[in-house]
Amino acid sequence: MQLEVNIASKVYTNAAGERQEALAGFNFALTAGEVGVFVGPSGCGKSTMLRIVVGLDPDYQGRVSRPPGAKIGMVFQEPRLLPWRSVEENVRLVAPQADEARLSLLFGTLGLEAHRSHFPGELSLGLARRVALARAFAVEPDFLILDEPLASLDDALAARLRGEIATLVDSRTVTTLLVTHSVDDAVHLGDRLFFLSQRPSHVIAEIPIHTPRGKRDAAEIRRIKAELARLALANL
Amino acid sequence: MLRLLSFAVFLATWWGAAFLAGDQKLPPPPIVLAAVIAEAKSGALFFHLGVTLARVALAFVLAMTLGAALGYLMGRVRLADRLGDPWLILLLHLPALVVIVLAYIWAGLTEVAAIAAIAINKLPTAVVTLREGTRTLDAALDEMADVFAIPRWKAFRHVILPQLAPYLAAAARSGLSLVWKIVLVAELLGRPNGVGFEIGVAFQLFDIPLLLAYSLTFAALVLMIETALVQPVEARLSRWRRRAA
Repeated sequence: MQLEVNIASKVYTNAAGERQEALAGFNFALTAGEVGVFVGPSGCGKSTMLRIVVGLDPDYQGRVSRPPGAKIGMVFQEPRLLPWRSVEENVRLVAPQADEARLSLLFGTLGLEAHRSHFPGELSLGLARRVALARAFAVEPDFLILDEPLASLDDALAARLRGEIATLVDSRTVTTLLVTHSVDDAVHLGDRLFFLSQRPSHVIAEIPIHTPRGKRDAAEIRRIKAELARLALANL
Repeated sequence: MLRLLSFAVFLATWWGAAFLAGDQKLPPPPIVLAAVIAEAKSGALFFHLGVTLARVALAFVLAMTLGAALGYLMGRVRLADRLGDPWLILLLHLPALVVIVLAYIWAGLTEVAAIAAIAINKLPTAVVTLREGTRTLDAALDEMADVFAIPRWKAFRHVILPQLAPYLAAAARSGLSLVWKIVLVAELLGRPNGVGFEIGVAFQLFDIPLLLAYSLTFAALVLMIETALVQPVEARLSRWRRRAA
Protein backbone atom coordinates (compact mmCIF):
# COMPACT_ATOMS: atom_id res chain seq x y z
CA MET A 1 0.00 0.00 0.00
CA GLN A 2 1.07 3.47 -0.75
CA LEU A 3 2.25 5.97 1.77
CA GLU A 4 2.58 9.70 1.37
CA VAL A 5 3.94 11.84 4.15
CA ASN A 6 4.03 15.64 4.23
CA ILE A 7 4.81 16.94 7.67
CA ALA A 8 5.01 20.72 7.43
CA SER A 9 6.03 21.15 11.03
CA LYS A 10 6.18 19.34 14.34
CA VAL A 11 6.84 21.46 17.38
CA TYR A 12 7.01 20.26 20.94
CA THR A 13 7.58 21.89 24.27
CA ASN A 14 10.34 20.38 26.36
CA ALA A 15 10.39 20.00 30.14
CA ALA A 16 12.01 23.45 30.53
CA GLY A 17 9.09 25.00 28.65
CA GLU A 18 11.06 25.82 25.51
CA ARG A 19 9.45 25.25 22.15
CA GLN A 20 11.53 23.19 19.77
CA GLU A 21 10.86 22.33 16.17
CA ALA A 22 11.64 18.66 15.57
CA LEU A 23 10.51 18.32 11.97
CA ALA A 24 10.11 20.94 9.23
CA GLY A 25 9.07 20.20 5.67
CA PHE A 26 9.55 16.47 6.09
CA ASN A 27 8.20 14.96 2.86
CA PHE A 28 8.51 11.55 1.28
CA ALA A 29 6.48 8.88 -0.47
CA LEU A 30 6.78 5.11 -0.77
CA THR A 31 4.98 2.86 -3.23
CA ALA A 32 3.49 -0.46 -2.19
CA GLY A 33 6.06 -3.03 -1.13
CA GLU A 34 8.97 -0.62 -1.05
CA VAL A 35 11.46 -0.51 1.78
CA GLY A 36 12.32 3.06 2.70
CA VAL A 37 15.34 3.49 4.94
CA PHE A 38 15.88 6.66 6.95
CA VAL A 39 19.44 7.49 7.93
CA GLY A 40 20.29 10.50 10.02
CA PRO A 41 22.16 11.82 13.04
CA SER A 42 21.00 10.82 16.53
CA GLY A 43 18.25 12.88 17.98
CA CYS A 44 17.23 14.32 14.63
CA GLY A 45 13.60 13.37 15.13
CA LYS A 46 13.38 10.04 13.33
CA SER A 47 11.30 8.43 16.05
CA THR A 48 9.10 11.52 16.19
CA MET A 49 8.43 11.10 12.48
CA LEU A 50 7.58 7.41 12.91
CA ARG A 51 5.15 8.17 15.73
CA ILE A 52 3.34 10.63 13.46
CA VAL A 53 3.26 8.18 10.55
CA VAL A 54 1.72 5.38 12.63
CA GLY A 55 -0.83 7.73 14.17
CA LEU A 56 0.44 7.84 17.76
CA ASP A 57 0.98 11.59 17.62
CA PRO A 58 -1.84 13.65 16.11
CA ASP A 59 -0.29 16.96 17.18
CA TYR A 60 1.52 18.17 14.03
CA GLN A 61 0.95 20.28 10.97
CA GLY A 62 0.70 18.55 7.63
CA ARG A 63 -0.75 15.40 6.19
CA VAL A 64 -0.06 11.69 6.29
CA SER A 65 -2.05 9.69 3.79
CA ARG A 66 -2.16 6.06 4.61
CA PRO A 67 -5.00 3.81 3.42
CA PRO A 68 -7.62 3.50 6.16
CA GLY A 69 -7.71 0.15 7.89
CA ALA A 70 -4.17 -0.70 6.86
CA LYS A 71 -2.57 -3.10 9.31
CA ILE A 72 0.58 -1.89 11.01
CA GLY A 73 3.35 -4.00 12.44
CA MET A 74 5.91 -2.09 14.44
CA VAL A 75 9.23 -2.85 16.08
CA PHE A 76 10.01 -0.15 18.62
CA GLN A 77 13.50 0.83 19.69
CA GLU A 78 13.02 -1.20 22.86
CA PRO A 79 11.26 -4.53 22.35
CA ARG A 80 8.14 -3.45 24.32
CA LEU A 81 7.04 -6.98 25.06
CA LEU A 82 4.59 -7.79 27.84
CA PRO A 83 6.81 -9.20 30.60
CA TRP A 84 3.88 -11.16 32.10
CA ARG A 85 3.11 -13.10 28.92
CA SER A 86 5.21 -15.80 27.30
CA VAL A 87 6.89 -15.24 23.94
CA GLU A 88 4.14 -17.11 22.14
CA GLU A 89 1.35 -15.29 24.01
CA ASN A 90 2.97 -11.95 23.19
CA VAL A 91 2.80 -12.77 19.50
CA ARG A 92 -0.67 -14.34 19.58
CA LEU A 93 -2.13 -11.37 21.42
CA VAL A 94 -1.58 -9.02 18.48
CA ALA A 95 -2.23 -11.67 15.83
CA PRO A 96 -5.16 -13.83 16.94
CA GLN A 97 -5.74 -14.83 13.33
CA ALA A 98 -2.26 -16.33 12.85
CA ASP A 99 -2.45 -20.13 12.59
CA GLU A 100 0.05 -22.61 13.97
CA ALA A 101 1.73 -23.15 10.60
CA ARG A 102 2.43 -19.47 10.17
CA LEU A 103 3.73 -19.05 13.72
CA SER A 104 5.98 -22.09 13.35
CA LEU A 105 7.42 -20.67 10.16
CA LEU A 106 7.98 -17.29 11.79
CA PHE A 107 9.51 -18.67 14.98
CA GLY A 108 11.63 -21.02 12.88
CA THR A 109 12.95 -18.24 10.64
CA LEU A 110 13.85 -16.11 13.63
CA GLY A 111 15.33 -18.95 15.67
CA LEU A 112 12.75 -18.64 18.44
CA GLU A 113 11.28 -22.14 18.36
CA ALA A 114 12.98 -23.10 21.63
CA HIS A 115 11.85 -19.95 23.42
CA ARG A 116 8.11 -20.04 22.80
CA SER A 117 7.14 -20.61 26.42
CA HIS A 118 9.78 -18.33 27.95
CA PHE A 119 8.92 -15.02 29.54
CA PRO A 120 10.60 -11.92 28.06
CA GLY A 121 12.59 -11.39 31.28
CA GLU A 122 14.41 -14.63 30.55
CA LEU A 123 15.59 -13.52 27.11
CA SER A 124 18.70 -11.64 26.00
CA LEU A 125 18.20 -8.33 24.21
CA GLY A 126 18.94 -9.97 20.85
CA LEU A 127 16.26 -12.60 21.44
CA ALA A 128 13.75 -10.05 22.71
CA ARG A 129 14.33 -8.01 19.53
CA ARG A 130 13.55 -11.10 17.49
CA VAL A 131 10.33 -11.64 19.39
CA ALA A 132 9.40 -8.04 18.62
CA LEU A 133 10.13 -8.77 14.94
CA ALA A 134 8.07 -11.95 15.05
CA ARG A 135 5.20 -10.01 16.59
CA ALA A 136 5.35 -7.33 13.89
CA PHE A 137 5.36 -9.91 11.10
CA ALA A 138 2.69 -12.13 12.66
CA VAL A 139 0.01 -9.51 12.04
CA GLU A 140 0.76 -9.76 8.29
CA PRO A 141 1.12 -5.99 8.15
CA ASP A 142 0.51 -3.71 5.20
CA PHE A 143 2.99 -1.34 6.79
CA LEU A 144 6.02 -2.45 8.70
CA ILE A 145 7.74 0.12 10.88
CA LEU A 146 11.19 -0.69 12.21
CA ASP A 147 12.72 1.81 14.62
CA GLU A 148 16.41 0.93 14.89
CA PRO A 149 15.67 -2.76 15.31
CA LEU A 150 19.35 -3.70 15.25
CA ALA A 151 20.80 -1.03 17.53
CA SER A 152 23.16 -2.19 20.30
CA LEU A 153 23.51 -5.71 18.95
CA ASP A 154 26.97 -7.02 18.07
CA ASP A 155 27.94 -6.98 14.38
CA ALA A 156 27.59 -10.70 13.73
CA LEU A 157 24.15 -10.88 15.30
CA ALA A 158 23.04 -7.67 13.57
CA ALA A 159 24.12 -9.10 10.22
CA ARG A 160 22.18 -12.33 10.82
CA LEU A 161 19.07 -10.51 11.92
CA ARG A 162 19.40 -8.18 8.94
CA GLY A 163 19.34 -11.24 6.68
CA GLU A 164 16.24 -12.50 8.48
CA ILE A 165 14.50 -9.15 8.05
CA ALA A 166 15.35 -9.20 4.32
CA THR A 167 13.85 -12.69 4.00
CA LEU A 168 10.66 -11.67 5.77
CA VAL A 169 10.26 -8.40 3.87
CA ASP A 170 10.62 -10.24 0.55
CA SER A 171 8.19 -12.98 1.55
CA ARG A 172 5.18 -10.71 1.01
CA THR A 173 4.24 -7.24 -0.19
CA VAL A 174 4.79 -4.95 2.75
CA THR A 175 5.61 -1.26 2.66
CA THR A 176 8.42 -0.81 5.14
CA LEU A 177 9.92 2.13 6.98
CA LEU A 178 13.26 1.41 8.59
CA VAL A 179 15.05 3.94 10.75
CA THR A 180 18.73 3.31 11.36
CA HIS A 181 22.14 4.85 12.06
CA SER A 182 23.88 2.22 10.05
CA VAL A 183 24.71 2.65 6.36
CA ASP A 184 25.19 -1.12 6.29
CA ASP A 185 21.54 -1.67 7.22
CA ALA A 186 20.53 0.90 4.64
CA VAL A 187 22.38 -0.59 1.67
CA HIS A 188 21.45 -4.16 2.55
CA LEU A 189 17.75 -3.58 3.11
CA GLY A 190 16.58 -0.40 1.38
CA ASP A 191 14.86 0.16 -1.95
CA ARG A 192 14.95 3.86 -1.33
CA LEU A 193 17.27 5.64 1.07
CA PHE A 194 16.39 8.92 2.70
CA PHE A 195 19.17 10.93 4.30
CA LEU A 196 18.06 13.33 6.98
CA SER A 197 19.36 16.66 8.27
CA GLN A 198 19.92 17.80 11.85
CA ARG A 199 16.78 19.07 13.55
CA PRO A 200 14.47 20.55 12.52
CA SER A 201 14.73 17.46 10.41
CA HIS A 202 13.88 17.01 6.74
CA VAL A 203 14.97 14.80 3.86
CA ILE A 204 18.13 16.14 2.23
CA ALA A 205 18.71 13.35 -0.26
CA GLU A 206 16.69 10.47 -1.67
CA ILE A 207 18.68 7.65 -3.25
CA PRO A 208 16.89 4.74 -4.93
CA ILE A 209 18.70 1.39 -5.09
CA HIS A 210 17.65 -0.60 -8.14
CA THR A 211 19.48 -3.88 -7.52
CA PRO A 212 17.06 -6.35 -5.88
CA ARG A 213 17.91 -7.25 -2.27
CA GLY A 214 18.63 -10.86 -3.16
CA LYS A 215 21.31 -9.87 -5.71
CA ARG A 216 23.31 -7.55 -3.50
CA ASP A 217 26.56 -9.45 -3.01
CA ALA A 218 29.66 -8.05 -1.34
CA ALA A 219 30.83 -6.38 -4.55
CA GLU A 220 27.47 -4.76 -5.17
CA ILE A 221 27.28 -3.52 -1.56
CA ARG A 222 30.76 -1.99 -1.97
CA ARG A 223 29.67 -0.31 -5.19
CA ILE A 224 26.58 1.23 -3.57
CA LYS A 225 28.62 2.40 -0.60
CA ALA A 226 31.20 3.95 -2.93
CA GLU A 227 28.38 5.71 -4.72
CA LEU A 228 27.09 7.07 -1.40
CA ALA A 229 30.61 8.15 -0.45
CA ARG A 230 30.91 10.00 -3.75
CA LEU A 231 27.72 11.85 -2.87
CA ALA A 232 29.26 12.50 0.57
CA LEU A 233 26.31 10.83 2.32
CA ALA A 234 27.93 7.77 3.84
CA ASN A 235 29.26 9.61 6.87
CA LEU A 236 26.07 11.22 8.04
CA MET B 1 7.42 -26.48 60.80
CA LEU B 2 8.29 -22.95 61.89
CA ARG B 3 4.61 -22.08 61.95
CA LEU B 4 3.91 -25.01 64.27
CA LEU B 5 6.72 -23.97 66.57
CA SER B 6 5.41 -20.44 66.68
CA PHE B 7 1.94 -21.77 67.50
CA ALA B 8 3.38 -23.89 70.31
CA VAL B 9 5.13 -20.84 71.76
CA PHE B 10 1.81 -18.97 71.62
CA LEU B 11 0.01 -21.76 73.51
CA ALA B 12 2.75 -21.99 76.12
CA THR B 13 2.73 -18.23 76.71
CA TRP B 14 -1.05 -18.27 77.05
CA TRP B 15 -0.96 -21.12 79.51
CA GLY B 16 1.77 -19.47 81.57
CA ALA B 17 -0.06 -16.13 81.59
CA ALA B 18 -3.33 -17.88 82.61
CA PHE B 19 -1.51 -19.53 85.48
CA LEU B 20 -0.20 -16.14 86.68
CA ALA B 21 -3.39 -14.11 86.10
CA GLY B 22 -5.83 -16.68 87.38
CA ASP B 23 -8.77 -18.40 85.66
CA GLN B 24 -11.08 -15.47 86.25
CA LYS B 25 -9.17 -13.02 84.07
CA LEU B 26 -7.56 -15.36 81.54
CA PRO B 27 -8.87 -18.93 81.33
CA PRO B 28 -6.30 -21.52 80.16
CA PRO B 29 -6.63 -23.20 76.73
CA PRO B 30 -8.68 -26.29 77.80
CA ILE B 31 -11.51 -24.15 79.23
CA VAL B 32 -11.66 -22.02 76.08
CA LEU B 33 -11.53 -25.16 73.94
CA ALA B 34 -14.47 -26.57 75.90
CA ALA B 35 -16.41 -23.35 75.21
CA VAL B 36 -15.58 -23.65 71.50
CA ILE B 37 -16.80 -27.26 71.43
CA ALA B 38 -20.01 -26.40 73.27
CA GLU B 39 -20.76 -23.56 70.83
CA ALA B 40 -19.89 -25.76 67.87
CA LYS B 41 -22.19 -28.54 69.11
CA SER B 42 -25.14 -26.19 69.43
CA GLY B 43 -24.41 -24.90 65.92
CA ALA B 44 -24.24 -21.30 67.12
CA LEU B 45 -20.53 -21.01 66.35
CA PHE B 46 -20.92 -21.92 62.70
CA PHE B 47 -24.01 -19.77 62.30
CA HIS B 48 -22.34 -16.65 63.68
CA LEU B 49 -19.07 -17.27 61.82
CA GLY B 50 -21.02 -17.83 58.63
CA VAL B 51 -23.04 -14.65 59.01
CA THR B 52 -19.91 -12.60 59.68
CA LEU B 53 -18.10 -14.22 56.77
CA ALA B 54 -20.98 -13.40 54.42
CA ARG B 55 -20.88 -9.75 55.53
CA VAL B 56 -17.14 -9.62 55.05
CA ALA B 57 -17.41 -11.14 51.58
CA LEU B 58 -20.18 -8.79 50.46
CA ALA B 59 -18.59 -5.62 51.83
CA PHE B 60 -15.17 -6.64 50.53
CA VAL B 61 -16.38 -7.34 47.00
CA LEU B 62 -18.44 -4.18 46.95
CA ALA B 63 -15.61 -1.97 48.17
CA MET B 64 -12.98 -3.58 45.93
CA THR B 65 -15.07 -3.31 42.77
CA LEU B 66 -16.14 0.24 43.39
CA GLY B 67 -12.73 1.27 44.74
CA ALA B 68 -10.83 -0.24 41.83
CA ALA B 69 -13.12 1.41 39.27
CA LEU B 70 -12.91 4.81 40.96
CA GLY B 71 -9.15 4.53 41.50
CA TYR B 72 -8.58 3.63 37.85
CA LEU B 73 -10.75 6.53 36.73
CA MET B 74 -8.95 8.98 39.01
CA GLY B 75 -5.58 7.71 37.86
CA ARG B 76 -6.48 8.13 34.20
CA VAL B 77 -8.66 11.22 34.10
CA ARG B 78 -7.28 14.41 35.63
CA LEU B 79 -10.68 15.98 36.10
CA ALA B 80 -11.97 12.96 38.02
CA ASP B 81 -8.90 13.15 40.23
CA ARG B 82 -9.39 16.84 40.98
CA LEU B 83 -13.10 16.34 41.72
CA GLY B 84 -12.69 13.19 43.76
CA ASP B 85 -9.63 14.05 45.78
CA PRO B 86 -11.26 16.14 48.58
CA TRP B 87 -13.89 13.42 49.12
CA LEU B 88 -11.20 10.82 49.19
CA ILE B 89 -9.24 12.68 51.86
CA LEU B 90 -12.39 13.17 53.91
CA LEU B 91 -13.31 9.47 53.74
CA LEU B 92 -9.75 8.37 54.46
CA HIS B 93 -9.72 10.27 57.73
CA LEU B 94 -13.30 9.70 58.84
CA PRO B 95 -13.28 7.35 61.85
CA ALA B 96 -14.92 3.99 61.20
CA LEU B 97 -17.20 4.45 64.18
CA VAL B 98 -18.68 7.66 62.77
CA VAL B 99 -19.52 5.97 59.47
CA ILE B 100 -21.12 3.00 61.21
CA VAL B 101 -23.22 5.07 63.62
CA LEU B 102 -24.39 7.43 60.87
CA ALA B 103 -25.24 4.50 58.59
CA TYR B 104 -27.39 2.93 61.32
CA ILE B 105 -29.09 6.25 62.03
CA TRP B 106 -29.85 7.03 58.40
CA ALA B 107 -30.61 3.56 57.05
CA GLY B 108 -31.87 1.93 60.23
CA LEU B 109 -30.42 -1.11 61.99
CA THR B 110 -30.45 -3.08 58.76
CA GLU B 111 -28.18 -5.47 56.91
CA VAL B 112 -27.79 -2.94 54.10
CA ALA B 113 -26.62 -0.26 56.52
CA ALA B 114 -24.07 -2.62 58.10
CA ILE B 115 -22.59 -3.78 54.80
CA ALA B 116 -22.56 -0.28 53.33
CA ALA B 117 -20.82 1.09 56.41
CA ILE B 118 -18.13 -1.60 56.26
CA ALA B 119 -17.65 -1.07 52.52
CA ILE B 120 -17.39 2.71 52.89
CA ASN B 121 -14.66 2.27 55.47
CA LYS B 122 -12.59 0.16 53.12
CA LEU B 123 -13.37 2.06 49.91
CA PRO B 124 -10.92 5.00 50.17
CA THR B 125 -7.80 2.86 50.71
CA ALA B 126 -8.70 0.79 47.65
CA VAL B 127 -9.19 3.98 45.62
CA VAL B 128 -5.85 5.44 46.73
CA THR B 129 -3.92 2.24 46.02
CA LEU B 130 -5.46 1.75 42.58
CA ARG B 131 -4.97 5.40 41.69
CA GLU B 132 -1.26 5.09 42.43
CA GLY B 133 -1.15 1.89 40.39
CA THR B 134 -2.87 3.50 37.45
CA ARG B 135 -0.42 6.39 37.51
CA THR B 136 2.49 3.99 37.09
CA LEU B 137 1.01 2.33 33.98
CA ASP B 138 3.59 2.08 31.22
CA ALA B 139 2.69 4.47 28.38
CA ALA B 140 5.06 2.59 26.05
CA LEU B 141 2.92 -0.52 26.32
CA ASP B 142 -0.25 1.51 25.73
CA GLU B 143 1.33 2.77 22.51
CA MET B 144 2.21 -0.75 21.50
CA ALA B 145 -1.42 -1.84 22.01
CA ASP B 146 -2.52 1.20 20.04
CA VAL B 147 -0.25 0.62 17.03
CA PHE B 148 -1.17 -3.04 16.82
CA ALA B 149 -4.86 -2.10 17.16
CA ILE B 150 -5.49 -4.54 20.00
CA PRO B 151 -9.21 -4.33 20.87
CA ARG B 152 -9.91 -2.33 24.02
CA TRP B 153 -11.13 -5.05 26.36
CA LYS B 154 -8.31 -7.32 25.27
CA ALA B 155 -5.72 -4.62 25.87
CA PHE B 156 -7.28 -3.98 29.27
CA ARG B 157 -7.04 -7.62 30.20
CA HIS B 158 -3.57 -8.39 28.89
CA VAL B 159 -1.77 -5.05 29.05
CA ILE B 160 -3.40 -3.00 31.84
CA LEU B 161 -4.64 -5.56 34.38
CA PRO B 162 -1.31 -7.36 34.82
CA GLN B 163 0.30 -4.01 35.63
CA LEU B 164 -2.41 -3.29 38.18
CA ALA B 165 -2.28 -6.78 39.69
CA PRO B 166 0.24 -5.96 42.45
CA TYR B 167 -1.82 -2.91 43.41
CA LEU B 168 -5.04 -4.92 43.40
CA ALA B 169 -3.33 -7.51 45.60
CA ALA B 170 -2.08 -4.81 47.99
CA ALA B 171 -5.53 -3.23 48.14
CA ALA B 172 -7.13 -6.62 48.75
CA ARG B 173 -4.64 -7.45 51.47
CA SER B 174 -4.92 -4.25 53.44
CA GLY B 175 -8.64 -4.06 52.68
CA LEU B 176 -9.36 -7.52 53.96
CA SER B 177 -7.64 -6.83 57.27
CA LEU B 178 -9.54 -3.56 57.59
CA VAL B 179 -12.86 -5.27 56.87
CA TRP B 180 -12.12 -8.02 59.42
CA LYS B 181 -11.57 -5.37 62.07
CA ILE B 182 -14.57 -3.21 61.26
CA VAL B 183 -17.15 -5.92 60.70
CA LEU B 184 -17.13 -6.85 64.38
CA VAL B 185 -17.71 -3.25 65.45
CA ALA B 186 -20.61 -2.93 63.02
CA GLU B 187 -22.11 -6.17 64.36
CA LEU B 188 -21.61 -5.16 67.96
CA LEU B 189 -23.45 -1.88 67.41
CA GLY B 190 -26.38 -2.90 65.30
CA ARG B 191 -26.80 -6.54 64.31
CA PRO B 192 -28.54 -9.37 66.18
CA ASN B 193 -26.05 -12.02 65.04
CA GLY B 194 -22.47 -12.56 63.92
CA VAL B 195 -19.18 -12.88 65.80
CA GLY B 196 -19.24 -9.20 66.83
CA PHE B 197 -22.70 -9.61 68.38
CA GLU B 198 -21.62 -12.73 70.30
CA ILE B 199 -18.52 -10.97 71.58
CA GLY B 200 -20.76 -8.13 72.76
CA VAL B 201 -22.95 -10.62 74.63
CA ALA B 202 -19.93 -12.32 76.17
CA PHE B 203 -18.62 -8.91 77.25
CA GLN B 204 -21.89 -8.00 78.97
CA LEU B 205 -22.04 -11.37 80.77
CA PHE B 206 -18.31 -11.15 81.50
CA ASP B 207 -18.06 -14.63 79.98
CA ILE B 208 -14.35 -14.63 79.12
CA PRO B 209 -14.15 -18.23 77.81
CA LEU B 210 -16.98 -17.47 75.38
CA LEU B 211 -15.34 -14.21 74.35
CA LEU B 212 -12.04 -15.94 73.68
CA ALA B 213 -13.77 -18.86 71.96
CA TYR B 214 -15.28 -16.53 69.37
CA SER B 215 -12.23 -14.29 69.03
CA LEU B 216 -9.86 -17.19 68.50
CA THR B 217 -12.02 -19.14 66.05
CA PHE B 218 -12.50 -15.91 64.15
CA ALA B 219 -8.73 -15.33 64.09
CA ALA B 220 -8.21 -18.91 62.94
CA LEU B 221 -10.70 -18.37 60.13
CA VAL B 222 -8.87 -15.21 59.00
CA LEU B 223 -5.58 -17.07 59.03
CA MET B 224 -7.05 -19.93 57.02
CA ILE B 225 -8.48 -17.63 54.36
CA GLU B 226 -5.19 -15.78 54.16
CA THR B 227 -3.09 -18.91 53.58
CA ALA B 228 -5.62 -20.81 51.47
CA LEU B 229 -6.85 -17.98 49.29
CA VAL B 230 -4.92 -14.72 49.37
CA GLN B 231 -1.37 -16.06 49.30
CA PRO B 232 -1.81 -18.58 46.46
CA VAL B 233 -3.49 -15.93 44.31
CA GLU B 234 -0.63 -13.54 44.93
CA ALA B 235 1.93 -16.21 44.07
CA ARG B 236 0.14 -17.01 40.83
CA LEU B 237 -0.05 -13.39 39.77
CA SER B 238 3.68 -12.83 40.24
CA ARG B 239 4.66 -16.09 38.53
CA TRP B 240 6.45 -14.31 35.68
CA ARG B 241 8.53 -12.24 38.12
CA ARG B 242 10.04 -15.16 39.98
CA ARG B 243 11.13 -16.91 36.84
CA ALA B 244 12.67 -13.75 35.42
CA ALA B 245 16.43 -13.95 35.19
